Amino acid sequence: MGSWDVGIWPSFDPHNFSQLRPNDPSAPSKKTPITYHPTHDRTLPPPDQVISSEAKNILLRQFYQRGDEKLRPKRAAPENLSPEQECKHPRASFASSSEPPK
Amino acid sequence: MFTTHNITSRLFERQIRTPPPGTSIHRARRFYENIVPATTIYEVECPDNSFRKFTEDGKYLISFSRNHQDLIVYRPTWLSFSCKHEDCDNQDLPPKAKKFESFFTQLYSVPLASANELICKDFFLYAESNQFGLFATSTAQIYDAPATGGAIQGVPSIEKITFHLLRLEDGVVLDERVFCNDYINLAHSMGVFLFDDLLAIVSLRYQRIHILQIRDSGSLVDLRAIGEFCREDDELFLNSSAQASTYIYTSDKTFLVISSADKRAPQHMPANNAANGSHLEQQPAQENPFLSGIKQRLLSFIVRGIQNEEKDETMRIQSLKKKFYFHFQDYVDLIIWKVQFLDRHHLLIKFGSVDGAVSRNADNHPAFFAVYNMESTEIIAFYQMSSDELYLLFEQFCDHFHVPSKSSPYMNFISSHSNNIHALEQLRSSKNKATSFPLFIKKVLVSLPFNCQFIYKCYIICLQLISAADRHRQSTDHPIKFILRRPPHTLKFKIKPGPEAGITDCRTKRISSFLFHPILPLALSVQQTLFLQPAVVNIHFRR
Repeated sequence: MGSWDVGIWPSFDPHNFSQLRPNDPSAPSKKTPITYHPTHDRTLPPPDQVISSEAKNILLRQFYQRGDEKLRPKRAAPENLSPEQECKHPRASFASSSEPPK
Repeated sequence: MFTTHNITSRLFERQIRTPPPGTSIHRARRFYENIVPATTIYEVECPDNSFRKFTEDGKYLISFSRNHQDLIVYRPTWLSFSCKHEDCDNQDLPPKAKKFESFFTQLYSVPLASANELICKDFFLYAESNQFGLFATSTAQIYDAPATGGAIQGVPSIEKITFHLLRLEDGVVLDERVFCNDYINLAHSMGVFLFDDLLAIVSLRYQRIHILQIRDSGSLVDLRAIGEFCREDDELFLNSSAQASTYIYTSDKTFLVISSADKRAPQHMPANNAANGSHLEQQPAQENPFLSGIKQRLLSFIVRGIQNEEKDETMRIQSLKKKFYFHFQDYVDLIIWKVQFLDRHHLLIKFGSVDGAVSRNADNHPAFFAVYNMESTEIIAFYQMSSDELYLLFEQFCDHFHVPSKSSPYMNFISSHSNNIHALEQLRSSKNKATSFPLFIKKVLVSLPFNCQFIYKCYIICLQLISAADRHRQSTDHPIKFILRRPPHTLKFKIKPGPEAGITDCRTKRISSFLFHPILPLALSVQQTLFLQPAVVNIHFRR
């Protein structure tokens, strides 16, 4: 960007870009761009975090999740669905467990 | 914003403007609205073969000889002739152009079936990455086969089924796999599923799922056989422990082994065991008192699920009695109907009764779905046919049931009710209109597990209106009209099967089938009567 000599390009008003000093190629600019330093550490990732992609596709993840729910021993509280799951898919109003043939 | 329908202005638009993000493929496909196979060559003289299918990449036309013993593969080409007159477009085609050979060059003819075998004409799977084709030949079906050697009673038997793996480029048979005295549902490739390089073959008679891998070199390698045994070393383990317990039996005759009332065992049971239902004395070493591996996994999954529903011990036992033990024999009698891959390690298996497996209309028979992990040999999920949980998953993630293969990304561009809000609205409105929700679910889920390569990738079909291109239809005298799906719904072209002058004899039934090339604007229509007369073949192409 610094090597674009905008000052000598034709423009509508000759006073446009007159303040721009063209860069001197013999002495390169010593200005370094300002970097951002965070003032807090709330957004730091945990030190042992490894980001990888999930091998199972979303359909299989659903199957596993529902299977785990069914096989996990139920706690006393009736609402044993995690809140995250609650808002993710609207459950049908019908009973949703697998039933034997009638 | 008006979209133009004129091909020249579309081409100019393409030069000037970049398409909206993510729609470049869609824009390219819209050119098919202008390049339509409108010209017809009637009653082309062609070899008397039964033409089956174009491969998905459009490179080969697969056909079988009339006696169903040879495979003949053609390469679709195009006309090439020069016209010396000034006004070429209005000239008639030269007579040489009206021949079958101008459009198709025969590559080779390979005999696949020997004397008493026939090629199964509905079976063809294409491995696009290697250009391998899988074909099947079989001998005649025996309907009342005795249930010997672990076979299920009631399933017919075929003396010999051979799968041939061919390299389609040159017709070399790379490998074969033979199944003897078995029954595999070959019609429309229902009993076989191909996913990338993995092949799942369901042996209905012996209740095994054979998983094979197609190597790049062309060999078929057995990976596993799921059914009786789930892990590779199950058989070894069971045999060695059977030997150990035989030794115990000879020293202590009151040794009890709990097993099911296994239908395969009765003839060999000692007389003093016949009275007991669930407790049987130890069988001699060659009898297997256990249920098959996959059945055990299934039953234990069901039991654990039912057990976990109740916290109270007495309620739990009640629930188990009502939901499981009462139906125990029905669960034990379930057999594997159909299988598909969900990914490289997971299978979606459809279970049902023996009668449903062999009958043509399986809709009236109860069916169940299970998801099985081949690596951990566990059942992950089990649903009955009209389960609303499974329906919800199907509604949301239908695309993942059509297992996407790495080599063909075209599935990204097929709209289904999981990726298209209009299709979803349509499905939801028919759901709301349905009188019985379980019946509606049954109707929607009846196509699961999907047939392999069932969705025919053809760009023209995607854009225009057609019904069931792959199946044969009873033909009338009227041409089939192709109308643009988008507004304005103009008529784009017509395809008329049969002779040009129409059919004079209306009494004989005619079947028409259409083969569309997936990429070129080329279609074949084959019309035949049922009396084995030579078929009338028309070629439809864009001039």
